[in-house]
Amino acid sequence: MSDLGELVAIAVAEAADGEEVEAFATEGRQTEVSALRGEVEGMTFAEERGVGVRLIADGRLGYAYGADPTPAEVVAAVARARENAALAEPDEHNGLPEAEPFETLPELFRAGSAAVSVDEKVRRALDLEAYAVSRDPRVTKVELAQVGDAVARVAIASTRGVDASYERTDAWVVVVPLAVEGDETQTGFSFQVARGLDELASEPVADEAVDRAMSMLGAVKPATAKVPIVLDPFAASSFLGVLAGALSAESVLKGRSLFADMAGQQVGSPAFTLVDDGRRLDGPGACPFDGEGVPSGRTELFTAGTLNGFLHDTYTARRTGGDQRSTGNAKRGGYKGAPGVGTSNFFIEPGEPSFDELLARAEGGVLIRDVSGVHSGANPISGEFSVGATGLRIEGGTLGEPLREMTIASTLPEMLEGISAVGSDFRFFSSVGTASILIGQMTLAGV
Amino acid sequence: MLDRGLVREVLTAAARNGGDFTEVFVEERSSTSIRLDDGKVEELTSGLDRGAGVRVVRGTSFGYAFSNRLDRASLLEAAAAASAALAGDAQGSVVDLTVRAGPGTNRVERSAADVPAATKVGWLREVNEVARGVSPEVAQVVGIYGDSLQRRLIAASDGRWVEEDRPRIRLVAQVVAKRGDVIQTGWEGPAACAGVEFLDRHPPAVTARRAAERAVTMLDSIPAPAGEMAVVVANGCGGVLFHEAVGHPLEADAVDKEASVYRGLTGARCASDLINGVDDATTANGWGSFDFDDEGEPSRRTVLFTDGVLQGFLHDRGHAAKMGVDPTGNGRRESYASPPIVRMTNTNILPGDTDPQQIVRDTARGIYVSGLGGGQVNPATGDFVFGVSEGFLIEDGQITTPVRGANLIGRAIDVMSSVDAVGSDFETWEGVCGKDGQNAPVGSGAPTLRIATITVGGTGV
Repeated sequence: MSDLGELVAIAVAEAADGEEVEAFATEGRQTEVSALRGEVEGMTFAEERGVGVRLIADGRLGYAYGADPTPAEVVAAVARARENAALAEPDEHNGLPEAEPFETLPELFRAGSAAVSVDEKVRRALDLEAYAVSRDPRVTKVELAQVGDAVARVAIASTRGVDASYERTDAWVVVVPLAVEGDETQTGFSFQVARGLDELASEPVADEAVDRAMSMLGAVKPATAKVPIVLDPFAASSFLGVLAGALSAESVLKGRSLFADMAGQQVGSPAFTLVDDGRRLDGPGACPFDGEGVPSGRTELFTAGTLNGFLHDTYTARRTGGDQRSTGNAKRGGYKGAPGVGTSNFFIEPGEPSFDELLARAEGGVLIRDVSGVHSGANPISGEFSVGATGLRIEGGTLGEPLREMTIASTLPEMLEGISAVGSDFRFFSSVGTASILIGQMTLAGV
Repeated sequence: MLDRGLVREVLTAAARNGGDFTEVFVEERSSTSIRLDDGKVEELTSGLDRGAGVRVVRGTSFGYAFSNRLDRASLLEAAAAASAALAGDAQGSVVDLTVRAGPGTNRVERSAADVPAATKVGWLREVNEVARGVSPEVAQVVGIYGDSLQRRLIAASDGRWVEEDRPRIRLVAQVVAKRGDVIQTGWEGPAACAGVEFLDRHPPAVTARRAAERAVTMLDSIPAPAGEMAVVVANGCGGVLFHEAVGHPLEADAVDKEASVYRGLTGARCASDLINGVDDATTANGWGSFDFDDEGEPSRRTVLFTDGVLQGFLHDRGHAAKMGVDPTGNGRRESYASPPIVRMTNTNILPGDTDPQQIVRDTARGIYVSGLGGGQVNPATGDFVFGVSEGFLIEDGQITTPVRGANLIGRAIDVMSSVDAVGSDFETWEGVCGKDGQNAPVGSGAPTLRIATITVGGTGV
């Protein structure tokens, strides 16, 4: 079996005169163990590798990939990418980036994590479930209690001199307990991600998930009204994906972003600063370089409410022109597709107020703890959204009656403008991060 | 795809610690995708994917291991890893492997593999031209074409040997319309398990025109109202509502984990007596259709509701055995990289006999939903949401002003019990459903429905 470096080199060597060729290869191993009723519910071992080839000839772009290819199959993939390129339309802005030096971020790989035994993972999953169902007599079962980890290696090479690779480890724990009282069932959810299993503490994750399930027991449907809203970090993080789509230069260039003509303008409140930082090591989205080998960077998209600019890959930077450079935000779902603009660690900068201070400032309002249907109810192009929500009333600065079967609706610009404060309780959720957010008024629909 | 002797060896190796059964799933998938955006054919991608997964099952517990490599050593390594999940010492047996043949649910007249890529590019150019021709307010058009052929082999220790090829084709048009500061979008994306003959019935031009008309229509929209009201769901759209609100909680894994609102309600009335619902993988060329599921069980038509009374749940092999019922052929997986889980196929509300126009005429005030963006449900609580991408006010029995930014929210049993009219105009819709990190193509279908009261989540108070 050839190593990744050899495979990408084989692809690059196939480039004909005048062609630009880039090969991107990944290989990884992943283990997931879930526990149910004191036994192993499921154990999955994954081992995958593959190579994707991007070829540009006369401004035309083609792509082809193969799973676990032999050297001959890599050569064939280059040929298929060439055939595909011949059918695409030329675009003068297509092109590969020049090689640039990058910071290697060796912290992304923890050798100790990669060596944790399967038995140890099983024990952790069983302990997670056992602990979750020990907290309260109303929580006797889980929908999911899972521990997982992954080791991955990425290699990229191109005719522009890019020749880079890195390794990473990731680990996670997730738990969904069920709280039951009479005929009513409520679910809670929490998870944590880290570089290695040894950095994960299951008990606080289970405590939080159990608390979130229990606090929803007895939930009622509220009356329709406009009220102050506090989005907790879980709920607030759900909106970051929608914002990311609207802040991609690709969306802007193709007329699919509501922010297209707003660069330089005050769009959000002064409390709102939004950053993408691929080198921030405490964020799960950290990586030394992006999906086309450009070094990861830090981009402040909003500073105190003012929109500075957008996220770029090499194509969008070239098409934008002037002195615009890639922000290191070419992202790939894996080897099966060409890169497009995406986020690395994408987060709202925390503010000063504690969570309790935010509640005190939202009298008569609602704390939103979970939103649902964001993929279907929020439109990153028009900026309108209406999503399902659950949460708790805010009464006298503390949390009161639980609420369900309601929606919150607004537009992204109105929501960003309406941010009165960002809390200090910052945390990352996969590669997006935020603290709790206080929003002046939002429409809450119920009865 | 693999030698029968080798498969038997792998199944036997996987059974070293016993278990109820062991299974090998082998897949080879070739795919083409083409994207037109901003007036240009941006990207053509062709892919070749293959891999195999080995699974060991005891009760509803499993061990699963997969690899991209199909050589003997890699497969035996996967068998060893999968069997390590079970603590046992009795070697399990493997019955002689016997071919099971299917009825040919997804017959292909003209294979996509035989059509030159240039022809496929031409379909997307047509999408672009037709959509832009609908109105000068059409600002952007994306056309996406995709086809794939998935060759599968499923063999298990009970002797089953199933080979089935699954063809897929889809053509999507996404349109952005703009007027001043107002931006709206429209989407249409017919899909099937079929060859390119599917596009004779769903021509690219028609898909493009529908998406463009949706986007342009929504430019005139006003913010949706908020609060409880009557909602008429156009034919086709209601299938997704049924899929989300009802289908997911009827999946046996949710029921088994006591995380379903329908647990213990078989034989009880859980919906309006107008509701008759099925999950049906046997529909010819349906987006969720097949001869065999991904555990090698024959596809079925499973009755879920008869006159509002719950008939049963959707099962894979493990959950069916545990609950003492027959499997319903609902064990599906995204690819060799995932173990099978309980999934829907084509989930439909069957047509009634009411004239759909009469349903609207009989509605004094409410919302007419004619486009959707999918939804989400919490099976344990039954709370679901359902995004409305195209909606209108109903005023005095007439469909009037378009509304935007709406969402429907409710509880499964309440909402299905609140259905007070079912039309005669059955229509399908094809989507992609996400569950446990796996995507599955699913069909859904329904006639025009009226929900007497449901919460609409707009901004107008």
